[in-house]
Amino acid sequence: MSDFARYVALDVPSLLAILSMMAVTYATRVTGYLVLRKRALSPRATAVLEAVPGAVLISVIAPAFTTTNPADLLGLAVTLAMACRFSMLPTVIVGVAATALLRHLL
Amino acid sequence: MTATAVPDDIAPDERGPSRSVWAEFRRGLAAMAPILLGVAPFALVLGSQAAMKGLSPLEVALMCGLNFAGGSEFVAIELWRSPPQIALIAGMTLLVNCRHLLMGASFAPHLRRLRPWQAALVLFVMADETWALGMDDARRRMAATGRPGISLPYYAGLAVSLYVAWVAVTVLGAVVGPVLGNPHAYGFDMAFTAVFLVLIRGMWRGWRRALPWPASLGVAALTHLVVPGAWYVPAGTLAGLAVAYFVASTETAEAAP
Repeated sequence: MSDFARYVALDVPSLLAILSMMAVTYATRVTGYLVLRKRALSPRATAVLEAVPGAVLISVIAPAFTTTNPADLLGLAVTLAMACRFSMLPTVIVGVAATALLRHLL
Repeated sequence: MTATAVPDDIAPDERGPSRSVWAEFRRGLAAMAPILLGVAPFALVLGSQAAMKGLSPLEVALMCGLNFAGGSEFVAIELWRSPPQIALIAGMTLLVNCRHLLMGASFAPHLRRLRPWQAALVLFVMADETWALGMDDARRRMAATGRPGISLPYYAGLAVSLYVAWVAVTVLGAVVGPVLGNPHAYGFDMAFTAVFLVLIRGMWRGWRRALPWPASLGVAALTHLVVPGAWYVPAGTLAGLAVAYFVASTETAEAAP
């Protein structure tokens, strides 16, 4: 088989799996919006909704806090300290570099 | 107007002069740039893992371009057999992506002024990163103007940047194969943590509003240690929202005469 034919190979079961992923994911993306689009919320519901971004972001990164590897813990501490003071780019660069260095050294 | 200024003069449904739209678009591209540093190594690894499971670069491009939700793609590739078990993959995709339900709900007030097709597109490219930066920007605009609403060209800049990078680099990974190995061996996985920590700091509104955070962190971390799979995200999120509900309840009780 030529390289090109290998690159663009597409079989039906794979395509169906990919399309089902798309359908499920898009449904999760639009449903919350459709439910709340035209609704006026109580102050309490608004307060809960305002807490969503923080709760989701912290939950997504929570596994980083469960490590027992000293290099990862120190890297996390450096990143946390940077995040309290500095903007996005320096925090990312120092966090990644410090973690890489610590994993190399420890 | 400089590229970094808060765009309090552009309402989402009123296109300003094309210069401002372009400036807003570029502001979005620039805001996403540091995140791409963390995304790219994972995209390479995902692409090479997909190739090892027998997916062609075209199939990788379709998965990443049509689904566009990285976490669920890693899980799908992990579970991938030939032929793939469609119900299993769809079910795990639902579990990993159910956080989108709440993300879309919290985004809704900022999308009310968009046309339906615009909202449909905005939601199609709503990933953790585009949503988090888009919400952050919408919150600043609301503080400045008193009105909810995202800056559509800014959000488009975020989305185009992440979308092109995600699809292109996963395909690159599928073509060149396993070159990077494990991105955790370097420090690139810390980029996500760094980005999210900076965004979380930006949400600081005093102790009371931050009470859900330790609840989310504790429950998500515990769930991650005890339960395999992606359950830690919904578990941690719901724990945080439960605390937010009680905090809001005590506030209404205090406000009552």
